[in-house]
Amino acid sequence: MVAKPCWATVSYGDGPVAQQRDTQALALSNQYDLQEHQLAPPLPLESQEAISHESGQNPPASADRTSPPAISIRGLTKRYGPLTALSDLNLEVHRGESFGFLGLNGAGKTTAIRLLLDLLRPTSGQAFIFGYDCWSEGLDARARIGYLPGEPGLYLDLTGLETLDFLAGLNRQPVDKRYRQELCDRLELSHCDLRRRLRQYSSGMKRKLGIIQAFQANPPLLILDEPTEGLDPLMQESFYRLLADVKRGGATIFMSSHVLTEVERVCDRIALLRKGEMVLLSSVRESRRLAPRRVRVSFSENVSAHPALPPGHQLTEKTPRLWRLDVVGPLGPLLALLEGLPVEDMEIEEARLEDVVLRYYREGAS
Amino acid sequence: MRSAFLLFRLSLKRARILLCVTGLLLAGFQALRVHIAASHSANDYEQIAALLPPSVRTILGPSVTSVLSFNGIVCGGYFDLGIVIALVVLSITLATLPAVEIETGFADLILARPMRRHWLITRTIALVLFTILLMLFMILVGTWIGLALFAPPGASGPPAHQTASLALDLAMLLLCWGGVAMAFGAACRPGVARPAASLIAFAALLLDYAQKLWPALECVGWISPFRYFTPFELVMGDPLPVENLLVLGAIAMTGFTVAYFIISHRDISR
Repeated sequence: MVAKPCWATVSYGDGPVAQQRDTQALALSNQYDLQEHQLAPPLPLESQEAISHESGQNPPASADRTSPPAISIRGLTKRYGPLTALSDLNLEVHRGESFGFLGLNGAGKTTAIRLLLDLLRPTSGQAFIFGYDCWSEGLDARARIGYLPGEPGLYLDLTGLETLDFLAGLNRQPVDKRYRQELCDRLELSHCDLRRRLRQYSSGMKRKLGIIQAFQANPPLLILDEPTEGLDPLMQESFYRLLADVKRGGATIFMSSHVLTEVERVCDRIALLRKGEMVLLSSVRESRRLAPRRVRVSFSENVSAHPALPPGHQLTEKTPRLWRLDVVGPLGPLLALLEGLPVEDMEIEEARLEDVVLRYYREGAS
Repeated sequence: MRSAFLLFRLSLKRARILLCVTGLLLAGFQALRVHIAASHSANDYEQIAALLPPSVRTILGPSVTSVLSFNGIVCGGYFDLGIVIALVVLSITLATLPAVEIETGFADLILARPMRRHWLITRTIALVLFTILLMLFMILVGTWIGLALFAPPGASGPPAHQTASLALDLAMLLLCWGGVAMAFGAACRPGVARPAASLIAFAALLLDYAQKLWPALECVGWISPFRYFTPFELVMGDPLPVENLLVLGAIAMTGFTVAYFIISHRDISR
């Protein structure tokens, strides 16, 4: 079913006026609910997604299931001759969600982003932005996107202000100069900096300019490719706060990143690509559940017993007075095992997203 | 449409130094040319014609006396080999702008916004056309200044229809090479597109001269666009051959069409 969208003009927060699609206009989302079917070790994606839904973290409260999702990708494939850059990607990003797109270099993250922007043409599959087909209705789709490329191709003979003005002019809606100024202030790009030519900019300043050009029209969807690359830690902090603010304003964030701590902090859900295939789709919280917790048990006396470990437990180090274990799942069986042993101390390290992601990376490498 | 205008304005702004310098040089050379033409008498031209090597006389053909005259020298700004090569190179440089924008990633920033791909080509055609008109205007300005300052008494300069024919002939040649370069620019990286288009233009120029010197090459000479650029005949007072304009225009249009097709179908990636 294809219904023509209606437009309503709404404003949120103190930011500029933004256009958002009438949520009653399309009823496509039900088609997308059953689309994540890919199987991948160690947990099938559909199971991962089921866990995510159970957790209550996904979809976020702001997502309206009767309106089309911010991004919907169905069977998207891109081949370059014999090389498959992206294989049968199925994905849905809900409105108001922060979505992290992870993968090693060459995994297909940027390819997927460029397909969404119609910079690349797919071999097969479909993609929609707020219900608009990325190719047949590409202009409408791209009118709702703020895009930060991994390496923004800026002309070095232009000033920062000229670049921002030019790119602002290509948007359908006029850019609110006050909001842009606010962005500049937050990212500490002064008026004096903006009047300098880009050849005098450091890589960090270019990155800030890239962020401002993506955010300045206050688009409902932000597609960010490695957004904090080249930013110093203080600027990264400002950027995270900015992301949190635009998310509170209702924007959807779709970002690729190598920085797992950043993803853990910013994103509601993640998808992990490996060699062009999605191998993990889950909420960040549930992803951590897939990672082993590190447990360190020290004893007051020598313990010589060889423990019969329950499933999901792995002994990584064993000395008479110290055990180190990786535990996946509940800790109850381990506590039962330790009953009767002279336990002096026990440390449990919180599972990190990094551990599960690195595990997927390593599996891919092997 | 507004986006396209902004893109055109930005391209023009970035090219302004190149265009201004080239335009001023052309106008200056043209004024100097008029000065040189005015400093020679008719007798001098006959002596120069007599000194010309046979190969040059063959290339010039019967137009040698017309070219070696006050008006012929003044009109030379529209067909001087150095100027023609410089303008063809300028045309190729501007026509391959889409390749540069794709290579640098600037096209990503533009096309990630609600802008159709074809504007990259339409803007470039507009830029090439604007540049051609500007350069011809600057040659004309140089001629006016030269004639006003240096023309000998009684010399009125080339007639308007002759100047217009020469300008149109040169404009179509430049547009033709713009079209060829644009097709390359839509398909290849700038590092490939510019040298390839320049090499083809140079080979076509050599072929045109070669076929004038060696009639056996006439069977393949028709493939060179320079064959349809006939300024010497125009200086002699012949009318502008419409079929030549059509051929040059057709090559340009083919190049533009190929560029439109390629840019709308290709992946935009570095």
